Amino acid sequence: MGVCITGIGVVSAIGMSVEENLNALCEGRTGIGPLRYLQGTKASLAGEVKASNDDLRKALNVGTEYVSRTSLLGLQAAREAWGDNKRSGVIRTGIISATSVGGMDRSEVFYKDYLAQNNPDYKLLTTHDSGSTTERIAKELGITGYINTLSTACSSGVNAIMLGARLILQGTLDRVLVGGSDALSGFTIDGFRSLMIYDDQWCRPFDESRAGLNLGEGAGFLLLEGEKSLELTGNTPICNVSGWANAADAYHQTASSPDGKGATLAIENAIRRAGIGLNQISYVNAHGTGTKNNDHSESVALQNVFGDRIPPFSSTKAFTGHTLAAAGAIEAVFSVLAIQNNLIFPNLNYNMPIVGTGLVPATQLGTDLEVNAVLSNSFGFGGNNSSLVLTKYE
Amino acid sequence: MNKPALYLSASSTISHQPTFGNPGFSAALGPVETSSVLISPDYKAYIDAGLLRRMSKILRMSVACAKDCIARAGIEQPDAIVVGTGLGCLQDTEKFLNTSLTVEGLLPPTSFIQSTHNTMAGQISLSIGNHGYNMTHTQNTLSFEHALFDASMLLREGDRHVLVGAADEHIDMLEDIAARLEFKAAAPLTSGASFFVLSSENGGNANAELTDIYTVGGTENRQEEIDAFLDRNGLQAGDIDLALYAGAPVQGAVRNLDYLSLIGVYPTASAFALHYAVDVLGANRDVRNVLICNALRKSNLGLTLLKAVEA
Amino acid sequence: MDSLKEDLKKQIIEQLNLEDLTVADIADDALLFNDQGLGLDSIDALELIVLLEKYHGIQLTNPEEGKEAFKSIDTMAAYINKRKAA
Repeated sequence: MGVCITGIGVVSAIGMSVEENLNALCEGRTGIGPLRYLQGTKASLAGEVKASNDDLRKALNVGTEYVSRTSLLGLQAAREAWGDNKRSGVIRTGIISATSVGGMDRSEVFYKDYLAQNNPDYKLLTTHDSGSTTERIAKELGITGYINTLSTACSSGVNAIMLGARLILQGTLDRVLVGGSDALSGFTIDGFRSLMIYDDQWCRPFDESRAGLNLGEGAGFLLLEGEKSLELTGNTPICNVSGWANAADAYHQTASSPDGKGATLAIENAIRRAGIGLNQISYVNAHGTGTKNNDHSESVALQNVFGDRIPPFSSTKAFTGHTLAAAGAIEAVFSVLAIQNNLIFPNLNYNMPIVGTGLVPATQLGTDLEVNAVLSNSFGFGGNNSSLVLTKYE
Repeated sequence: MNKPALYLSASSTISHQPTFGNPGFSAALGPVETSSVLISPDYKAYIDAGLLRRMSKILRMSVACAKDCIARAGIEQPDAIVVGTGLGCLQDTEKFLNTSLTVEGLLPPTSFIQSTHNTMAGQISLSIGNHGYNMTHTQNTLSFEHALFDASMLLREGDRHVLVGAADEHIDMLEDIAARLEFKAAAPLTSGASFFVLSSENGGNANAELTDIYTVGGTENRQEEIDAFLDRNGLQAGDIDLALYAGAPVQGAVRNLDYLSLIGVYPTASAFALHYAVDVLGANRDVRNVLICNALRKSNLGLTLLKAVEA
Repeated sequence: MDSLKEDLKKQIIEQLNLEDLTVADIADDALLFNDQGLGLDSIDALELIVLLEKYHGIQLTNPEEGKEAFKSIDTMAAYINKRKAA
């Protein structure tokens, strides 16, 4: 039976719920546009969640103002994934979230006033550390016990799912809510601009003319359950978490290796762990950020693993923007949706194959293939590469 | 279920105390002074100059400890690298935040790149050319315990040697923040990094066995949790020869020692406590069981149980 | 000695934290991105772009363009002179 997914939740630039996200994916509608809620940044385009902090606090019934947007987005998705499940004294339940910025959206408000000596509110810093974003979500959901946060830049979300699956298989937990959350911040927008990989136009993953990424924000959560938990909750499994792997590229602080070493290892090991053949992967949800470096390196890795029989693949980042630590979790939710509905999501803004690799992503919504197994990639700074294999529940 | 034994094959700490390259340090260690500073080794002996020039304090400490540990364990490569950090790369985070808010033109990217929490683990993998599992846990005062738990799971999954450690760095504005938030630290705020090689077999150099590790977030019943933890391991409080604690002493233990008074306060100070415990177990035959009880933050409890290596 | 080249060396040492080097250690024609030269990498290239703007008021928005300009101190000085003359 292994590890089953029984609940999913997502919030992103293309919607506040699973249903809204699925509709936008099917309609080919991007959520990337000019920023409306986060003011004072130099980004012309980003994938912003269409709600203010006040809107989110009201909708989620969170009283305090000392809560980061990262926590609010995480709570929105975690509540949806958790659904009507009940706390239990018998089912050992944990939560693992992933974040790269934590409460930076609040910290930068503080620091601006601090620099200007304009009566800074020190209490804003109580939400700074990444662990506190998860503790806040756990508190709102009433989860105590195993509460943990991973932070491995852009691969964090997949790593949270992987850790959750391992904890269930080792018998430490019976069920675990896993996911990732990151809010947009001036800090990260400036950061990617300083690396000269923030595109002022729409990002174009896997296109020869690609010139960088657009940042996004959001959260994805999945409820994982093992056999014992399923017996007690009676929940219906949607998918299995079948394969996972993390590998270090050990090539460069930011850039991926031209031979895609770490990415190749992650993909190969995840598929091996799933115990399925290469030809059984129906769809690849690629990392595909739209930077020159990532998309080339990832293409090489896909060729290393699949040769000339690469499954249909696409990046959904032209819908949501690159949501950093949330990306792996949001895209895992999209992968579940692909399996549930037999869909292959289009890679928006694609025009010309990358010279040298020549791979062509899926550009139209695919509805005529049976989708039984999805590979989802997330690669991050520091050469942190993770891959996940989700399969139809049988 | 009978868990296989896990061995601490090597330990290394850079701190405000003479812990680095100094086995047996625990015997003579006094309280950490408020005026103390970080005692740094010659980093050039451990880190390539090309990488070193960009590295902040936390990165230097981490990579040097990691390399020292691997050399002490006598292994070529660990199968995995697992790091815990409470607050991450504060120096670079503050630097880029400052740049981002004050510089009008192009921004230098280095401090942004090195502001992410996984920079330590990434730089270690880069420094030693390691392609294995590479993970960073950041759960406040329990960040190290979560990393150690992950490492122990990896060994149960078949890995032989895992490099596991933790680091946190002090920046000047922390005292101001602590005062404004009315955080009354039990000892001076300091920096520290501790790394270990945790192994599934004893190559003859292990000083201690990791018996069990447990974390609980959002707890209200500290004593109950401790009693249950000891019970699961077939022990009573009186069997604990040495309890290293942050927060409150362990009732009934033969001896209690507040490890924060030795090392100062940082979110992953319990990693130092582990090194201290290993050092004591290696030097003192009378000590059999050591419990590290981390309640630096009251609602988070981390329990780590060690014992002397069976002769 | 050419004062622009001397300034560039000082600025590079500061911007890139090349603590162990002095101006005298950097030859005008040494390859900056070669391991036999200074052994700089792509992050340094970005720092050099910042340096050009900060100290010389020159904007270089395409990192590819930097590859030619940043070969050595000689090429950097020539690039600055060319951009200033334009």
